[in-house]
Amino acid sequence: MAETTVSDRMATRPVGHADTLGARMTALRHGMSPWWFRYQAYPIFRVLWISFTDYQYLSSEPAHFVGFNNYAAALNDPLMWSSLWRATMFTIMFLPGTIILPLLLAILVDKVSNPRLATLYRVVLLIPAVIPSTLVFVLWKWMYNYQVGPINHLLVDVFGLFTLQNAPQWLGGTSLTLPAIAVMEVWWGLGYHTIFFLAGLAAIPKDLPEAARIDGASEWSIFWHITRPALAPIMMILVVLRFGTAMAVIDEYLIFGGFNRDSPTYTWTMFMYDQAFKLGLWRQGFAAAIGMIGAIAMMIVMIILIRIFRPKG
Amino acid sequence: MTIALETIHQSSAGTKPAPGWFRENRSAIVRHGVINFFMLIILAPLVWVLMMSIKSRSDAMRSDFWPRRFDFTHYRYVFDKIDTFPINLLNSIYVTSGTVLITTVCAVLAGYALVHMKPKGGGLVVATLLISLYFPVRVVSTSGLILPYVTLNLAISVLIMRSVFQLVPHEVVEAAKVDGAGPWRTLWEIVLPMARNGLVVIFIVNFVTAWGEFLLCSTLTNDQIVRTMPVVLAGAQGGLGQWSWPALAAVYVLVVTPGIIAFTFAQKLFFKGLAEGVVKG
Repeated sequence: MAETTVSDRMATRPVGHADTLGARMTALRHGMSPWWFRYQAYPIFRVLWISFTDYQYLSSEPAHFVGFNNYAAALNDPLMWSSLWRATMFTIMFLPGTIILPLLLAILVDKVSNPRLATLYRVVLLIPAVIPSTLVFVLWKWMYNYQVGPINHLLVDVFGLFTLQNAPQWLGGTSLTLPAIAVMEVWWGLGYHTIFFLAGLAAIPKDLPEAARIDGASEWSIFWHITRPALAPIMMILVVLRFGTAMAVIDEYLIFGGFNRDSPTYTWTMFMYDQAFKLGLWRQGFAAAIGMIGAIAMMIVMIILIRIFRPKG
Repeated sequence: MTIALETIHQSSAGTKPAPGWFRENRSAIVRHGVINFFMLIILAPLVWVLMMSIKSRSDAMRSDFWPRRFDFTHYRYVFDKIDTFPINLLNSIYVTSGTVLITTVCAVLAGYALVHMKPKGGGLVVATLLISLYFPVRVVSTSGLILPYVTLNLAISVLIMRSVFQLVPHEVVEAAKVDGAGPWRTLWEIVLPMARNGLVVIFIVNFVTAWGEFLLCSTLTNDQIVRTMPVVLAGAQGGLGQWSWPALAAVYVLVVTPGIIAFTFAQKLFFKGLAEGVVKG
């Protein structure tokens, strides 16, 4: 969506002025479209072009235009559909938890009146957010570890739900891997999203819920009629952003899943990565088509999500 | 910390056994209970790693939370015995500080230009952006990692700085100009101190991304000696020998602590900046 508005602006700009630095700076100040275009849109158009060619990385032959061949090949590949479906499954497991739990927690923390406690809670909440992604993955790889991991230790030795023989195998592309990654992602985003909601809650005037309470409104109806509409914009941003990241996850699958095509972690992003960098054929035209199909599918769902969560009125 | 808070609740409940006190504060007790439960979930994995790093090797395989014998030598061991460790750590520090420095300078300049500046100094901004744009992404050395990382972070950093600078009124900048301050002096002495909170935010955001970046570093480098510490850590298999579990955990604690300490000290400014730059922007 952003690309179209940018290219529209580019098209309507007077051509003669475009090359002078002054005009460029004016445009930059008024919406930084040229910079934005080069920085964000150029790679997208580049991939779009590659997806219509038989471009191969490190190949001495020049790329040929092949029309929609790559798209036809991708759409006819059952792996394209199953890998998109796997990404959708992950999003369904991850998205509700990562929105609802922080919302609940933010409402509770917002009511803490002791300033020192409130600060302490906020600092603890943001600790996972200052741990870099790789280190979060390493940490949870240990949590789920078969031998020394505390999760299996709790399940086997403390609660006795499993024995060492049938203890769950979380990682490595089993059916438990996607839920395990979803739990990790919810843990990681819990504090950060809570802080977002807290910022939204702080913007609600305190006398509004007070007045409603005096008038005899229940806590639930205060939440539904005052808190929920006030948080709607933040909710929309989080849902749309996290939908996008959840559908396009790749690092986690690379680390926890591996390149087994039957693994539930082999999603369309892995498929693309595999085709482009791993398999040795470097069919980057085909990989680009996979990427474009995935991106278009995501964009359609995003538009629907924005329509659903758009603040009313 | 959380456990201490819970005992405070219990002890204050114990000194005042009147049932009325409990009933009056029931919602507060339940609320703090639920919050502390979540805090415990957030902290538990980190506490587990900390405990792991001070266990003896035999206790590490037993996986009880509280070890039978403590062993604090793992921290010295990783510096002495794992030969690439100091180099990897230096790589991390080098790449991260390079990235944070370049990104912050670019973001401040671009954000300031976008909001307050006349076209005069703008060429520098455009040039810096363009230079970072056309660098090839294929790298073989540690220094080569810095520019791709800058690229990753720059867009979001400029956007944050832009919305932070928008909070500085135009009149302030105009007044400085009338008083004869050039654009550099205005930025350095007047606008930047007002934008301190936003600066802390992009500092921390960039630090976290660069310190832990995995995909680019593992794809673009192919020698252990040029990799950053987190990537080496992700590739290390736990077990016996050099990478025993406690040694791995010790490396983990060493790598993760600087970020947490820096954040804890800067948290006041960070939260203000977050509210100014991210939420309103």
